Amino acid sequence: MTPSRTAFAAILGKDLRAELRTLQSLPAMALFAITSFVIFRFGLNRTHLSGSLAAGVLWATLLFAAVLGINRLFVAEREEGGFDAIRLAPIDRSVLFTAKVAALIVYLAALELIAVPIFALFFLTSAASLAPLIIVLVLADIGLAATGTLISSMAVNSRARDLLVPLVLLPLVVPLMIAATAATEPLMLLGGVSYHRFGTWLTVLGLYDLIFALLGYAVFDFLLED
Amino acid sequence: MYGKGLRPLSIATVIAFAITLSLVFFYAPIEADQGFLQKIFYLHVPLAIVALCGFIVGGIFAVLHLRRDDPRYDAYSYVSIHISVIFAVGALLTGSIWAKGSWGHWWVWNEPTLVSFLIVFLLYATYYPFRYAIEDRQRQARYASVFAITAGAFVPLNFLAVRASASLVHPRVFATAEGGLPGSMMLTFLCAIGSMALLWTTLVKFELSAKSAQGQMKRLRRALDAPTSAATSRIAPEVH
Amino acid sequence: MPAWLFAAPSIPNDVGGKYVAGAYIVFVLLLLIYVAIMGMKLARIERDLREVAEIAESRTAAPAADQAAPGRGSQEPSISDSLAPGGSRGGGA
Repeated sequence: MTPSRTAFAAILGKDLRAELRTLQSLPAMALFAITSFVIFRFGLNRTHLSGSLAAGVLWATLLFAAVLGINRLFVAEREEGGFDAIRLAPIDRSVLFTAKVAALIVYLAALELIAVPIFALFFLTSAASLAPLIIVLVLADIGLAATGTLISSMAVNSRARDLLVPLVLLPLVVPLMIAATAATEPLMLLGGVSYHRFGTWLTVLGLYDLIFALLGYAVFDFLLED
Repeated sequence: MYGKGLRPLSIATVIAFAITLSLVFFYAPIEADQGFLQKIFYLHVPLAIVALCGFIVGGIFAVLHLRRDDPRYDAYSYVSIHISVIFAVGALLTGSIWAKGSWGHWWVWNEPTLVSFLIVFLLYATYYPFRYAIEDRQRQARYASVFAITAGAFVPLNFLAVRASASLVHPRVFATAEGGLPGSMMLTFLCAIGSMALLWTTLVKFELSAKSAQGQMKRLRRALDAPTSAATSRIAPEVH
Repeated sequence: MPAWLFAAPSIPNDVGGKYVAGAYIVFVLLLLIYVAIMGMKLARIERDLREVAEIAESRTAAPAADQAAPGRGSQEPSISDSLAPGGSRGGGA
C-alpha cells in the first residue's frame, strides 16, 4: 500500500503541473475578480471603500471567483478517468480529498495574491490592513477549499454540474463569509486598523475549517464508491 | 408496516395539541413587554426547534445509511428532512408575522435566530435540486446522505456565527423575560415543544407509510407483469 | 350556553390579537395543505390498486374460463365480474 504522503504529493503535483501547463482556472479567476471590482466601483458609485463596504466587496468577489475554480476542480478526473484510477490504486482514497483541498488552497492563494493588492489599489486609502488580512485569508481559504472540494466532487457526477456548486456551496459558506467579513471590516476602517473581536472571528473561522475538513475527509470514501 | 403505530401516535398528537392550545390561551399569563402578541412564541419557537432537531435526525439517519448501506435509512433521512423543511417554512412564516407585529417589519435582520433559520432553510431547500441532478439511484442516495451529514454539521456552526454577528446595539426582537420564563410559561412552552415533536413524528410516519404503499404497489405491478404507472418520483427514495 | 364559553378570553381586537390569529391560521393552513397533498397521493394509490385488482382478477378468471370451455374467449367471466358493484373485495369498506 502506497504511503499516503507519497500519494498526496503525487496527486497534488499532478494537479499543479496540469494547471501551470494549461492555465485553465487561474487567469479566469483573477480576471473575473478584477472585472468584478470595476463593476462594484460603478455599481456602488464609489471610488473609495472602507469598513463593512470594503470587506463585503472584497469577500463577495473572492467567493464568486473561487466558485469558478471550484467548478473546474474535478473536471479532469471525470473526463480522463481519474476517479477510476484512484479507485484502483492501492492508496487510501481520502488522499484525493486532501490533495484536491491543497491544490484549491494554492489556487485561492494565487488568486488572492493578485486580486487583493489590486483591490487595495482600486479602493483602499492605506495598505495597513493587508498584513493582518493575510491570516484571515489563510483561514478562510482552508474552509472554502474543504467545503468547495466536497461539493465539487459530488457536483461533477451530476447533470446540472455548473449550477450545483453555486447552489449548494453558497449557503454552506455563509458562516465563513460572516466571520471573514466581520474580521476584515475593522481592519479597513477609515480611522485606522482596529482588531475589534478579531480573535472571536478567527476562532469561528478555525472551527469551520476544522469541522468541514474533518467531515470531508471522513465522508470522501463513500463518494468515490462506484 | 410503517402505518402500524400511526393511530396511537396521531391520537397522542391531537391530545397533546388540545392540551397545549388550552394552556396557551387559558393558562399562560400575558407577557409584560409584548402583550398578547407574545403568544406566537408558543407556536414559532417549537416549530423552529423541532425543525432543527429534525434536520439533525436526518443527518443521523444519513450516517446510518452510509455505515450500514441499508437503503431504508436513506428513505428515513429524506422524509425527516422533507418534513423538517415544511416545519422550517412554518417557523419562517410565523417568525415573520411576529416580527411584523412587534417590530413593524415583515423581516428583521437583527434577530439572529430568524436569520440563522433563513440560511439553514436555504441550504436544505437545495437538497431537492441536488438529489434531482444525480441520476443513478444508488449514487443519489449516497450523495444525499453526504449532503445531509454536511448540512447537519452546518446547523450548529451557522447559529454560532450568526449569533456572534448579532449587533449588541439592537435588542433582540424575540427576547423573552429577562430572568428566564416563569413556571406557567415554561410548562406551556414544554407542552408546545412536545406537541410539535409528536406532530413531526406522526407526519414522518405518515409520509413513510404512504411511500411504502406506493412501493408495494410497484412490487405488485411488477409481479403481475402489469405496465407501471406513469409518474414516479426521481428523487424520493423508494420504500418497501 | 355552556359556562366555560364565558370563561374563554375573547381575542383582543388590537393589533396583537390579529397577528396571533394570523400565525396560528398559517400553521393550520400549512397542515391542511399537507393533508390535501397526501390525500391526492392516497387517491392515486387507490386508483392504482383498483387497476391492479382488475388485472389480477382478469388473470385468475381467464384460466378458469379456459378450463370450463376451451376455445371461448375470456371476455364473459371478466365482464360479469366487473359488473358486480365494487367486486367481492370492494364491498367491505
